Amino acid sequence: MNNKVISLTRVIFKNSFQNMETAKSKTENKNKRKIGMIVLYSLIFIYLAVIIGVFSNGLIKELIEINQEQMFLGLILITIAGFVLIQSIFSAINILYYSKDNEYILPLPIKPSEIVAAKTNVLLITEYFIITIIGLIPLAIYGILTSANIFYYISMLIVLIVFPIIPVLLSSLLILIIMSFAKFTKNRNRFQLIATILVFIVVFALSFTTSNTKTTPEELVKMVTEANGLVEILKGTFPTLGMALNGLTNQSVINQILNLSLLVITTLIVYVIYIVIGQKLYLKGAVGNLYSGKRTSKKIDETKMYKKSSLSKTYIGKEFKTLLKNPIFFMQCVLPAILFPILIIGLAFAGIKGEQNGAPIDFANMITDKSSIYIGMGILCAIQFFLMFIYISATAISRDGQTAMFMKYIPVPLMKQIDYKVIPNIIMTTFMSILTIIMVEYLLKLPIMYLVLITIAGIIMGVFQSYISIIVDLKRPKLEWNSEYAVVKQNMNLIWPVILGILNITLIVILTLVCRSFINSYIFIMFITVMYLLLIFIVRNYIKNNVNKFFEKIY
Amino acid sequence: MIKIENVSKSYIKGKKSIDNLNLEIKDGEIFGFLGPNGAGKTTTIKMITGILNTDEGDIFIDGKSIIKQPLEAKREFGFVPDSPDMFLKLKGIEYLNFLADIYEISNEKRKERIESLTKKFEIYDNLNNEMQSYSHGMRQKIIICGALLNNPRNWILDEPMTGLDPKSSHDLKEMMKEHSRNGNTVFFSTHVLEVAEKLCDRVGIINKGKLVFVGTYEEMKEKFKENKSLEELFLEITENEQ
Repeated sequence: MNNKVISLTRVIFKNSFQNMETAKSKTENKNKRKIGMIVLYSLIFIYLAVIIGVFSNGLIKELIEINQEQMFLGLILITIAGFVLIQSIFSAINILYYSKDNEYILPLPIKPSEIVAAKTNVLLITEYFIITIIGLIPLAIYGILTSANIFYYISMLIVLIVFPIIPVLLSSLLILIIMSFAKFTKNRNRFQLIATILVFIVVFALSFTTSNTKTTPEELVKMVTEANGLVEILKGTFPTLGMALNGLTNQSVINQILNLSLLVITTLIVYVIYIVIGQKLYLKGAVGNLYSGKRTSKKIDETKMYKKSSLSKTYIGKEFKTLLKNPIFFMQCVLPAILFPILIIGLAFAGIKGEQNGAPIDFANMITDKSSIYIGMGILCAIQFFLMFIYISATAISRDGQTAMFMKYIPVPLMKQIDYKVIPNIIMTTFMSILTIIMVEYLLKLPIMYLVLITIAGIIMGVFQSYISIIVDLKRPKLEWNSEYAVVKQNMNLIWPVILGILNITLIVILTLVCRSFINSYIFIMFITVMYLLLIFIVRNYIKNNVNKFFEKIY
Repeated sequence: MIKIENVSKSYIKGKKSIDNLNLEIKDGEIFGFLGPNGAGKTTTIKMITGILNTDEGDIFIDGKSIIKQPLEAKREFGFVPDSPDMFLKLKGIEYLNFLADIYEISNEKRKERIESLTKKFEIYDNLNNEMQSYSHGMRQKIIICGALLNNPRNWILDEPMTGLDPKSSHDLKEMMKEHSRNGNTVFFSTHVLEVAEKLCDRVGIINKGKLVFVGTYEEMKEKFKENKSLEELFLEITENEQ
């Protein structure tokens, strides 16, 4: 990697993260604030680490009991591969093609391959942050619980550094190929959206077909009875997964070194192929005015042109237009509401339905039983889990960037504007809740009344998540950004909806455990609904009382 | 009329960015607000429009306090910010309709205003395109059209000529003159001293947060007993204050 690539990587990376904390902090003591931020993010990191640690600890111990502990390594590596693969589809298109720094980089005497290398480095560094949480901690706990030697830890670091590179390269490669056709399209925004969804479907379909490898019952029995036999199922699901797993688990050190070397060499070969293709294809997609929208002299329909609307309709409409017309915002804020329930519930239940020969599992008779409270808990936790990925509220102010000050000089009360900004989130969370319930109903047969109640509970939880998420953005809006990507990806604020979501799930689980012996599922759902209604009232009042203070930093 | 009373503002404790500013822009007046970079022009404009809070003092737009009656005061002015890069994913017509709805402008009135303003600035044919596709000058024009849409009595413009082509710049100056002739107020900041010299009834010069001169060009020459251009006098005033 030459100096130009290293220098370019540093500049692009610093430029993306430079405004990580807040819009402007002229009024505050910067050092104090910096220390505060470090402490805050360290606490968040510890919090997530503890949750993942506790989960890993439990799972590894269970697997050790049945002599299948290596399955854990396989599950973690497959999670990393899947996560990085999907994350980098969204990230690659934005970093490679739609970041504003292209305007300054493309005129410089730098080879396309060097730009691609530097941008891919930035992509990879961003992924490493998350891998530290979802990879390093579980694998280190595995090492401790299985009393692994020092070589395991060295192999672990090598695997964590090298293994995620191929998923990043694969996603980026698909993006490079598809974007090379961008010059044939007039509407690049739409093209970007379609391209990303297309790559997403291709990757998803590929991973689904590879994970659907048929195993005969005899083979399965052999795998289960043999120590660490089950992990063999996973080895074929991703090209380098076998190498990484053997590098971590093989009994002989020589074999481990051999597998790790194979992993490094394979990654290097893929990297070289990627860079060669990048050199050939990158400019085809990148050159041209990527920011220019469609500009025609299309005459406007004068009958529709000057139509007066209510303030709420026009304001919410403006919010939706910004979300829908901007592919990055659309993909990160709106699409998860539609995709996640279908994909995750669909996949999770595909196996169960298979066992039932396609018939829905009949829960109708079980629902009045006190133990059925767990069904309600499960559905509400699933809804809460999906809520964590709808970022419309959590980015409502940041998405406006420097335009956010517009909110302050128009004659519309700030609280009213906040309500208008929250409503698109509420609409999407409502849509998501209903979709989740439809999926659940398709797979489990639940009574209508129960469905209605749980849908209402889901919607109310969505309203709560919508208001609480906007507080995060109001407290620390990210207004200075050079690409929309920075708002939804390089924005530490977005860790808060996840934390709040986990807290909510914990709360629901605790309440279930407390209430299970004296109330049934119906009353439990109603209780949750009333509790969240109360929380909405408290949170909205808190915003209302502090609205002017929140907006002090927006100017 | 815009009245600024004893206004101070600090970003950093102990260092005033605006220091006890007093200023009155009367009805029927075009007022040019001048000053070097970082002198406090944009900070003052942001306080007038309610974007920034004052630490001390108050600001009145047609007698309405921006602090105590913010919504009423905000209805009294049209504002053009220093950057025209706003709501770029919206089409020009969508942006103007959005503003017209905020200011509750009727269908007939908005039709008349949008057509006359956008035709004057020659962007009528581009109204159906996303603002992202506009040049810097076109974006500036649509923002100006938006600010003037509800025909506010007070115009507050931060560097309004930036990016405008000569014809649009000329048209805007003529509109400013006409607006003031009708008894309304125009308050604008600029770095182009030639514009201020020819257009303004009065100018204010701000340096390091303090208003160092307010008056007509003639009064300035009188005060310094020198028959120099505004540019020379401006440099002399701001350099003496260094």
